[in-house]
Amino acid sequence: MQLDFSAREVTVKLVYYGPALSGKTTNLVSLHGLAGEGARGRLMTLETQDDRTLFFDLLPLTFRAKDGDVSLRIKLFTVPGQPIHAATRRLVLQGADGVALIADSRVSETQHNAEAFFDLRQNLGTNGLTLGKMPLVIQFNKRDLADIRSEAELEELARRGKEPVYLAVATKGTGVVETFMGLLHLTWETLERTHQLSKKLSIDGDMLLAYVAKELGVSTPVEELLARRVGGAAKARS
Amino acid sequence: MNDPAPLPPPGKLPEEPFAIAGVDGSPLRLEELVDRRALAEMITSFEHLFGVPIRVLTAAGKTLAGNETFSPLCGLVNEQPAGEHACADVLDVVKHLDFTAAPISATVPTGVHRCFTGAQYRVIPLEYDRRLIGRILLGPYLLLKKDGSAGDPPRTLAALSPELGGERARSLWTGLPSADADTIEQLGRHIATVLDVILFSGHKALLTSQMHLASVRESYRELCEKNERLEEAYERLKELDRLKSNFLATVSHELRTPLTSIMGYGEMLAEGVAGELNEEQREFVETIRTKSEQLLGLIMSLLDLSKLESGTVAVRMARLPIATVLADTITTLTPTALKKGVALEIDAAPELPPILGDAERLRQVFLNLADNALKFTPAGGKVSLVARTAFEQSEGEPGLILVAPLRQVVEVRVADTGIGIAEAERSKVFDPFYQIDQSSTREYGGAGLGLAIVKRLVEAHQGNIHVEANEPHGAVFVVQLPAARPTMHPPAAKRTLPPILG
Repeated sequence: MQLDFSAREVTVKLVYYGPALSGKTTNLVSLHGLAGEGARGRLMTLETQDDRTLFFDLLPLTFRAKDGDVSLRIKLFTVPGQPIHAATRRLVLQGADGVALIADSRVSETQHNAEAFFDLRQNLGTNGLTLGKMPLVIQFNKRDLADIRSEAELEELARRGKEPVYLAVATKGTGVVETFMGLLHLTWETLERTHQLSKKLSIDGDMLLAYVAKELGVSTPVEELLARRVGGAAKARS
Repeated sequence: MNDPAPLPPPGKLPEEPFAIAGVDGSPLRLEELVDRRALAEMITSFEHLFGVPIRVLTAAGKTLAGNETFSPLCGLVNEQPAGEHACADVLDVVKHLDFTAAPISATVPTGVHRCFTGAQYRVIPLEYDRRLIGRILLGPYLLLKKDGSAGDPPRTLAALSPELGGERARSLWTGLPSADADTIEQLGRHIATVLDVILFSGHKALLTSQMHLASVRESYRELCEKNERLEEAYERLKELDRLKSNFLATVSHELRTPLTSIMGYGEMLAEGVAGELNEEQREFVETIRTKSEQLLGLIMSLLDLSKLESGTVAVRMARLPIATVLADTITTLTPTALKKGVALEIDAAPELPPILGDAERLRQVFLNLADNALKFTPAGGKVSLVARTAFEQSEGEPGLILVAPLRQVVEVRVADTGIGIAEAERSKVFDPFYQIDQSSTREYGGAGLGLAIVKRLVEAHQGNIHVEANEPHGAVFVVQLPAARPTMHPPAAKRTLPPILG
């Protein structure tokens, strides 16, 4: 997080983590499509020939709330999922304010999802961060495919888990905004507690989130968006 | 011991934390994202196309690309002290134009600045990542009215000095670049769009290279850590290996001492020093003696091996003919061959090139191989030692014609007509203590150390050894030793041997 008092501007870094080909880039592409011209920057993708992320994707979003008085700049990153890019993932993760773990819903991918999570935990540790203090949401993507883990199972596990869990079909844009707003909400709450952002910028967090949702073309109230999770507490961790 | 190349020093963590420009660190700067020369070329090309001076400025107002020379009129203005002063003031304003400020007058839109000469500037903000990163400066140009005319020089020009009100100034004034408002707006928008694409590409390239560098550094750090751990493990193993060799040497020595006594007393018994022996007793004593000799042989081999491994055996290199070494071997083994009914042949032409080697050690090599061959060849069979010159296998290698003469080798083939060695076993026979199967040990004896020692010795001579099949049955041990080149000097007299388990 970077706070520029004179420009009244806060920059947060959110990272979309997950196994290879789970749909991290697709989430960003979808958000890019939803964001209004005034908010979105160019989506920068660094891909290899086979459409796999080489270093990272970067989507800058800028929200000017309170008639342009306060700017919320969000840098959305994805990491390359393949095991070989461990060093790159660690680098992209540096200075992250929040993480969305994009999991593949297919039963066959269960192992890869877990490995991505362990990898995240380890890389956060190497960067001197603890997973317990990092705002984290989990998205189960590709709900439209066959042989997926059942909703009942995910709900049951999500209730017992700590993180907000969202279901998504990123290729159709379903669940993408919910995941993003869930992550932004959690991240803002965490930063609020550590840095008293709303006091410093004299801006109401809920108002800012509502503004972001509006800029993403969503008319649903933020509370409702956040409630679309399948379990877990949408509260920041202590 | 041949130590491996020293490992690189363990890497240090990158000093500065990884920062992606414009994301985690300071805001991006125009001069970091564009190539100045390429930008200048592009700007010049636009100037030629539209006939209007164009400059690209950094956020701080420094000119990054574009023509800084004055038009003839501006040159004349700047020759006058008052004109020079006034011109500098105008340029200072346009180079730092604040786009958020309200327009100066209702008739002049934001981004347009009029000069006292009657010409004007158009300044377009250059934004990247929603931040002002620089300015595009068009002008000075005369704004053409709807009727296509530029009008007359204003009084403000003549007011500066009498010279600027003169005829020469007037003719230079009409020569100023001119354009209509639409063209200027179009040009400004076009350059801004093109620059935006260039900046994005530049940013992408910058990020990619930074990321690449950081990844490489991170991978290097990881590798160094791994190397460090490997080196530690390697050191530990080396120490263990040394301990094992020492232990072997000590034990072999300790075994030999009492064995010498056993053999001595056995001999005395056989010679009847302690009284005449009957037939049966003599037979028993004889068995004790032969078995003791076998045991001694085994212990000597073990000692040899441990010496080879601990690197305490010296090889004394000298130029010597292979034929002599092989002839010596045959002489030693002829009685055994005769007794067993196996033919023993040698074929080594005296004109073979000499090799560099230790005669005693090479004799040991061929004695061992030939003895083995005899052991595994049934009566009526044949064991042959054939020496030839050859080249190391390097077919189709680049520069073969130049390199091949340096690679001339003397190849000795020790062939037998025995049971042969299965292909899968051929590389393993050189491992210490390896026996193809336990039954052969019982039938032929031996501890499985001979070939391990042979291989070490051949390698100490920069040679190599391998096994081939002998048609229709039997095995061929092929030893290749580098031929001594006429100009080659023997290497340092004492060489230490590579370890067997290296």
